[in-house]
Amino acid sequence: MVAAFEASAPAPEPFDLLACDLARHQAAHIEGYARLCRARGVDVAKLASADDIPAVPTDAFKVTRVATFDASETVATFRTSGTTIGTRGEHALRDVSTYDAAAVAFGRHWLARDLERPVPVVVLGPSPEQAPDSSLVHMCAAFVRAFGHPAPASTTYLIDADGVLDVAAFDERVAIALARVEPMLILGTSFAFVHFVDAVGKASFDLPRGSRVMQTGGYKGRSREVPPEVLRADLARVFDLDVRSIVGEYGMTELSSQFYERTLFDDQSPLGVYAEPPWARVVPVDPDTLAPVADGAVGIAKIVDLMNVDSAVAVLTQDQVRRVGATNSGGFELLGRAAGAPPRGCSIAIDEILGRAGSGSE
Amino acid sequence: MTRSAAERIADVRRLQKAARNVIEHRAALVAAIVESTGLSPEGVELGLTKHVELHAHDAELAALVERAGDVTRVAVVLSANVFVGALRAVALARAASDDVVIRPSRRDPAFAQALVEAATDLGDTHVRIDDDLDIGSVEEGEIHVYGRDETIAEMRKQTRPGVRLRGHGSGMGIAWISADAHLEKAARGLADDVVVFDQRGCLSPRIALVLGDEARASALADALHAELERLDVSIPRGAVPADDRAAAGRYVATMTYACRALVGTQHAIGIAPPGAPLVLPPPYRTVHVAACSSIEEAAKLLAPLAKGVVTVGSDDAASARLLAPSWARIASLGRMQRPPLDGPVDLRDS
Repeated sequence: MVAAFEASAPAPEPFDLLACDLARHQAAHIEGYARLCRARGVDVAKLASADDIPAVPTDAFKVTRVATFDASETVATFRTSGTTIGTRGEHALRDVSTYDAAAVAFGRHWLARDLERPVPVVVLGPSPEQAPDSSLVHMCAAFVRAFGHPAPASTTYLIDADGVLDVAAFDERVAIALARVEPMLILGTSFAFVHFVDAVGKASFDLPRGSRVMQTGGYKGRSREVPPEVLRADLARVFDLDVRSIVGEYGMTELSSQFYERTLFDDQSPLGVYAEPPWARVVPVDPDTLAPVADGAVGIAKIVDLMNVDSAVAVLTQDQVRRVGATNSGGFELLGRAAGAPPRGCSIAIDEILGRAGSGSE
Repeated sequence: MTRSAAERIADVRRLQKAARNVIEHRAALVAAIVESTGLSPEGVELGLTKHVELHAHDAELAALVERAGDVTRVAVVLSANVFVGALRAVALARAASDDVVIRPSRRDPAFAQALVEAATDLGDTHVRIDDDLDIGSVEEGEIHVYGRDETIAEMRKQTRPGVRLRGHGSGMGIAWISADAHLEKAARGLADDVVVFDQRGCLSPRIALVLGDEARASALADALHAELERLDVSIPRGAVPADDRAAAGRYVATMTYACRALVGTQHAIGIAPPGAPLVLPPPYRTVHVAACSSIEEAAKLLAPLAKGVVTVGSDDAASARLLAPSWARIASLGRMQRPPLDGPVDLRDS
């Protein structure tokens, strides 16, 4: 399917067929998933539509192993950054080649398809050696290999083990790229970019013409929070880029696929609307009934990801989304987590325990 | 003029008497509390008749007076907390001061208003309601704020220099089922603790740790399921906000995948796989049950959540004390929501 996408050919098999086959595979090898299907009244043998596949909540990755294979076959384990109490979700893979192929193919499509030769790629993040369990770092490393010049890790991954951003190394890479008239690809998280913007202050790093930035992820308390449109404008100013060259990416540890804003290659695509690869589908569902919501309505994202071969083909997130246009030709808006109604009573919520833990008095 | 401890205790006892009067004439009040809290009428009735601290020993009140301190003035800001909490909040303030002003929750003012009116009727002119109390205008004494951590933090920013703010935040209870526990009896007590205020109180048990293997945890869960099923009928759950319904659905799906979930008419129970990190289930009658091979394992599992634990309910107070954070109250199962009137329910900052 990835190869067909790269060749601009039709998908070899229908999405729903593959998704249902994967659900059957996972139900056959994961007792918990079979149990969830039964609890939902779903007979996996009769599944015919991806919409009917029971989704695994992301929390399940935190409390149990979500894998069709024996732990001894694991070659990589990606872990969430720990947004819940002392617990990190784990996504085990026994083969990263599928992950890498899909990530690079779709990343190339929305970040680098116009690049005729390797370019300087800089990651505002740690190296894979420093963060071997980060799926984002793993993906960035794949992009460095696929789209980048060979360069030392010290001038490619610019946040060290202590979380310190190496602005001097960034400056050096930019200077070389300017001299060679090569566009750059800058990859990083929102909080890393906020730190970067804070570090450079009113200074700017005018990037070579044709450069672009991929920003992803939330803040999770690691920097001040900045509204997306403000951060985008800040980055455009600092890097002397058009705001449409700042491309948002949406992904999560529990998935093997990613989603991108189309802004770099589609003049008509609005900011904040993410495209899906042909092997993944984002369905807004009612958080209570889990049924797909009406077109244009807001729901939480149920993500059917055909690259999650050995884990969970359908994942239930807590992110709010709204579809814009048709599946795989339109996209979806990412609206963040539900703010929720004011709580009634004084029972504690996880975020409050996190806040207390974050205060670090013990 | 400084009051003696005996005078302060007498003032608190007068508040208890006022609360008793409120409860005796509660017909209209119940409807108002049902409306404001979303609890069922039976749930409100349960709260009013079983969970208002109408009786207290002198020693308990002496402890309350001791913890309250002595200040010129106390401003109390109440949140949409468990509604009966107003008595303890006013009692603490009244024990501390002869000048008490109460700002009730805008969403849930009925019990606090009724209590202050009844106290006034009994001759206590030192407590009054001010619905529009501005925290920033308080110039002396203390401000007692009940609410979420972020509410307390926000109020702290508004507090003038020299004024002390005492925050009473959110929390939770856990249950500890010892090796000697009779599971059906433990489940009965735990179910009683869960049902009160629809598990929305800071003492409400959300997690039950069972000493033993997964089979024993499952047995406790089954017994709890039966008890909650019974209580779902006699004390129906109130309205559940959509977000909490969704959270419960996610929790059930997660636990179904991870190990086992029991879904009742108006409750749910998740049984954790052995050794799995604890999950904090949403309120509104959802309980997470986990087996622990030892008290040490239980403490290790609980550690990430410990800062939120206000009370530990158990059949075995001695071993519960070993497990509980130092500040946590220890209670018998079935009495987790009836702490003595000896200070704030939450003793984390005491």
